[in-house]
Amino acid sequence: MIRLETDGGVSVLTLDRPERRNALTPEMLDELIARIGQCAGARAVALVGAGSVFCAGFDLKRCADDPSGETLGALLRGLSRAIAALRGLDAPVVVGVHGGAIAGGAALLGAGDVVLAGRDTTIGYPVVKIGVSPAVSAPFLESSIAGMVRERLLDPDLIDGVRAHEIGLVHELVDEQTDVREIAISMARRLSEKPAGGMSATKRWVDEIHSAQSPLGERAPQRALDASLSIVGCDEERERLGAIWGKGAQG
Amino acid sequence: MTDLALLRVDGGVATLTLNRPEQHNALCIELLDALHERMSEVERLTDVRVLVVTGSGRSFCAGMDLKQVVIERSGDAGLALRLLSSLGELTLRVRRAAMVTVAQINGAAIGGGCGLTCVCDISVTHARAKLGFPEVDLGLCPAVVAPWVVRKVGAGMARKILLTGGLISPVEAQRMGLVNAVLDSPEALGAHAGELGERLASGGPRALAATKKLLNELDGSLDEALIRRGAELSASVLCSPEAQLILAERLDSSG
Repeated sequence: MIRLETDGGVSVLTLDRPERRNALTPEMLDELIARIGQCAGARAVALVGAGSVFCAGFDLKRCADDPSGETLGALLRGLSRAIAALRGLDAPVVVGVHGGAIAGGAALLGAGDVVLAGRDTTIGYPVVKIGVSPAVSAPFLESSIAGMVRERLLDPDLIDGVRAHEIGLVHELVDEQTDVREIAISMARRLSEKPAGGMSATKRWVDEIHSAQSPLGERAPQRALDASLSIVGCDEERERLGAIWGKGAQG
Repeated sequence: MTDLALLRVDGGVATLTLNRPEQHNALCIELLDALHERMSEVERLTDVRVLVVTGSGRSFCAGMDLKQVVIERSGDAGLALRLLSSLGELTLRVRRAAMVTVAQINGAAIGGGCGLTCVCDISVTHARAKLGFPEVDLGLCPAVVAPWVVRKVGAGMARKILLTGGLISPVEAQRMGLVNAVLDSPEALGAHAGELGERLASGGPRALAATKKLLNELDGSLDEALIRRGAELSASVLCSPEAQLILAERLDSSG
């Protein structure tokens, strides 16, 4: 479900479950975290998706089928760990999104030092509608788009790549969706050719500066995960998730 | 010896000029010393509401003077840390100034030079100026100026800008929030900066000073320890064999 290809100093991670629009399962996130661990020596990392969309978010059918809430909890924990693992790499991370990056898929943008997207990519967090809190990704997105994070997490509306570029969630636009993967990988290759010492020191220093300015500091990701977990399994979520899934919406 | 930093006061507007045009106003220790002296004068000015920072000649500031930080060339392994510490202290002094600070980016603003523009409250440039942070291309870490870039454009855009290196067009820089305005030509920039200075100087000095102080508290600008750690980090990366090799090659190729 996760493909890792290494070419010289560049490691390319591909979400590879195209028949389900790369919808995330707990097993898939475990695999992603393991593969990220294998990128430790890389000089640059690209994260892209196979098929027609980058990532449709959590596999909600699995969540709806599990009234205990364990599946949703595992997904939230896995997503938090995966983003933290990408942020923790010494090497710069390029995230290339095409087609759609929804909810958990949009959260993965917060892992990118450089984010590329197709102009027509659909990006957003419709999850409050189904009674799920996207708090888990707030620290990562807050550090990427500052004050705009409130609108993006609380408004379930979807935006396109152009708007995401305007608010700084996406750094570079790609005209054709089909070119995103290739352009993201070539950007990673360019970054991999720069001297590693200055690169990793700079990446860590920006995190440290941001952390120094944030009241929760390094505790923010855990606090955010706890906020999302705190409402897992509540009536609101069970009713709304069941209703949405029953209507045939896809996650 | 010519004066490496000039200070002119005209009504409510003071102008601080980096004056080492033949070296594109590259930051050597002597230029930084001169800027500190001028800032001491600025801090004693009472009727001035606006401080414009600019460069003489065709460039604003080309960044650090490489000749002083290649140890093989300078013969002084401690000079890099002194230079970066002095730059860090200068950024803190400019940020703490009670007046509104404006970077009039008259030409190239590279690396530490571009960082200096981010310290100012407002920065304006023209369409032909070269901007950017090529530090990572040279194996360096722009740790002294990174906090100011983060405060100017946010951590996310700062990551993108600082980790991709290279140069940025003024139009792109404006889109990213790195500069506030881009004029068509150096002449138009001069006129714009003059008008901007006059307009800013029309504000009440106490209102401006109180607002600036609050803004500095809000975004952590008064965190001196962070800038000092940045100077140490930047110097340690700069003195690494990887960076020294690249910089020495760069110096040799430029003669």
